[in-house]
Amino acid sequence: MVGVGIEIEKLCVGYDKTRVLHDIDLEINSSEFVALLGSSGCGKTTLLKSLSGFIKPMSGQIRVNGNDVAQLPPEQRNMAMVFQSYALWPHMTVRQNMGYGLKLRGMSKEQINRKVDELLTLLGLADFGDRKVPNLSGGQRQRVALGRALAVDSPILLLDEPLSNLDARIRLSMRHEIRSLQQRMGLTAVHVTHDREEAMVMADRIVILNGGHIAQVGTPLEVYEQPKSNFVATFMGAENEIALNVERANGTLSIARQEAVKAASLSVSNEIGDGGVNWQASAAGSVRGRFRSSAAHLRADEAVPEGHLALAGRVTQLSYPGGVFRYEIESAGQLYMIDDPCRYAVGDVVTICVPAGGLHLYSEAA
Amino acid sequence: MSGQSMSVGPGRMGAILLVAPALLMIGFLFVYPFGYSVVSAFTDNGEGSWHIANFTKAIEFYSKDILFTIVIVSLSTVVIGVLAVAIAGYLTLGENPTAVAVLKWLYRWPLFIPFIVSAQLMRTFLAKNGMMNNILTSSGIIEPLAAQSYLDWRGIVITFVWKQTPFVALLVAGAMASIDRTTIDAGRIFGASRLRILIELVVPQIATTLMVGLILSYVVMLSVLSVPLMINAQSPTMLTVDMAWRINSYGDYGVANALGIMSYLFTGVVAWFYLRQSLKDKGA
Repeated sequence: MVGVGIEIEKLCVGYDKTRVLHDIDLEINSSEFVALLGSSGCGKTTLLKSLSGFIKPMSGQIRVNGNDVAQLPPEQRNMAMVFQSYALWPHMTVRQNMGYGLKLRGMSKEQINRKVDELLTLLGLADFGDRKVPNLSGGQRQRVALGRALAVDSPILLLDEPLSNLDARIRLSMRHEIRSLQQRMGLTAVHVTHDREEAMVMADRIVILNGGHIAQVGTPLEVYEQPKSNFVATFMGAENEIALNVERANGTLSIARQEAVKAASLSVSNEIGDGGVNWQASAAGSVRGRFRSSAAHLRADEAVPEGHLALAGRVTQLSYPGGVFRYEIESAGQLYMIDDPCRYAVGDVVTICVPAGGLHLYSEAA
Repeated sequence: MSGQSMSVGPGRMGAILLVAPALLMIGFLFVYPFGYSVVSAFTDNGEGSWHIANFTKAIEFYSKDILFTIVIVSLSTVVIGVLAVAIAGYLTLGENPTAVAVLKWLYRWPLFIPFIVSAQLMRTFLAKNGMMNNILTSSGIIEPLAAQSYLDWRGIVITFVWKQTPFVALLVAGAMASIDRTTIDAGRIFGASRLRILIELVVPQIATTLMVGLILSYVVMLSVLSVPLMINAQSPTMLTVDMAWRINSYGDYGVANALGIMSYLFTGVVAWFYLRQSLKDKGA
């Protein structure tokens, strides 16, 4: 079964009088893997439930292969879903769980057995077919839930945080398993998650939701390297914030000297990977800068490499999360988190160096 | 360690003192009368040698009533099960909030009405010139001449079902409300109809609760005297009527106790099935 395209147009969804999703427009291509990413309450699960039919929208259209399914009940949408809690039927065996959708489609016992056997082998569950669900581990249950969804050959696979209940090690391997199965079968997949890394490694495109609106849609590289708004930048890990005064001329930004900020001249990015500043501000002047702790590094001296924004500061805390040291640096009353492989002590005077390619600039009000 | 073992003594005494009143009550009000009844059933009112004459007599006189009782109670249990699942199923899967609210409010009423009042209600409702036939004839559904009394075995079944369905539905609806809702959603997304979801996905998950409710109802119905006495005072009738008759008219506790032990056996068979099933479930 090859996936089909989904078009969402001006979708408004709410509970009672509270509107949760506002005028959502989104196009999902056939065989594409799209991740809906956002913090709790942003509307990502509501959007998935609207797609699956468990919530009827107030207005708008959801077109599958050109047909509007927005008002159809879930049983008429021909979609498959993997639930966060797996939602396996505990009174059935693994085989019965995986074959139930096929039974509903009127397939013969032989056909069901053949299909289920294929999936059991594919998912590494060949020895567990006759086991009841409560006697399986979390990872095995997850595979059964996935197998049940794949068994029905539905062109659309909905994934509602299916990995959130697994331990870290299994989660990592399941990400790749689900992704490779989706690619192999050519399914259109919509995956809800609040885990940024999970969305990045699994999806072709990421839809970032904020307060019921789409904040940005793009490939993992686009949303990571060129977040369009202050919210997306923060959500994608650019937690360090700095107020800057800039002037822009001929593709170059001049950063004015401030209390702890040294004057600098930085190039503006024209395309991803060219090492320039991600300029999203509407005008020069006072802007808000954001950068990731991993994008910057520390120097013990004041010599700043070219094309870097530099801030003078002092180490106030340090920890070792693995690979690099994580420093809390105080600079002009502001605190910054910086990762650096070199060892500094609390109290050391340092310079934070942010390369132009790691800096994102937004208007103050954004 | 020594401090711990020192504290066990008074703790254990305290525990014994706490459960003693309940144990004594069970002993005096259940174990002793039950034991006495068993002895009385196998002797002449607790005196003389052991024999099975009371059972022979009970079977000789009341074999039809024994069969009648089993059929009535079993049939009622089945109908109660079906209706309770239907009510609880609609409360769980129903999509019309008004209908669900009305049903939720209505279905529990018979719970608060005693058996004897239920029987009286049914007498006025199911009699030949009762309310049911009046409604059916006045609305033209049946001819007045076709009206018939339901005050026979059907009346007992209807009364039992009316009285006990809310109890089982209450238990079953509670169990259905507590199952993982996404297991129902999963059924829907894979294309199952509401009825299939109820029968194939929901009921198996609450089967133990349903069985407990039905067994409790079965036991209650086996012990009700007022309903068969008021609705079906003819032969064959239920064992409770026979027991009352043996005691009140003949002072024959031996045969009455033999019939009572048979009732215990009917309950015991059901309890055995239940225990076997629950052990199987635990072992799975």
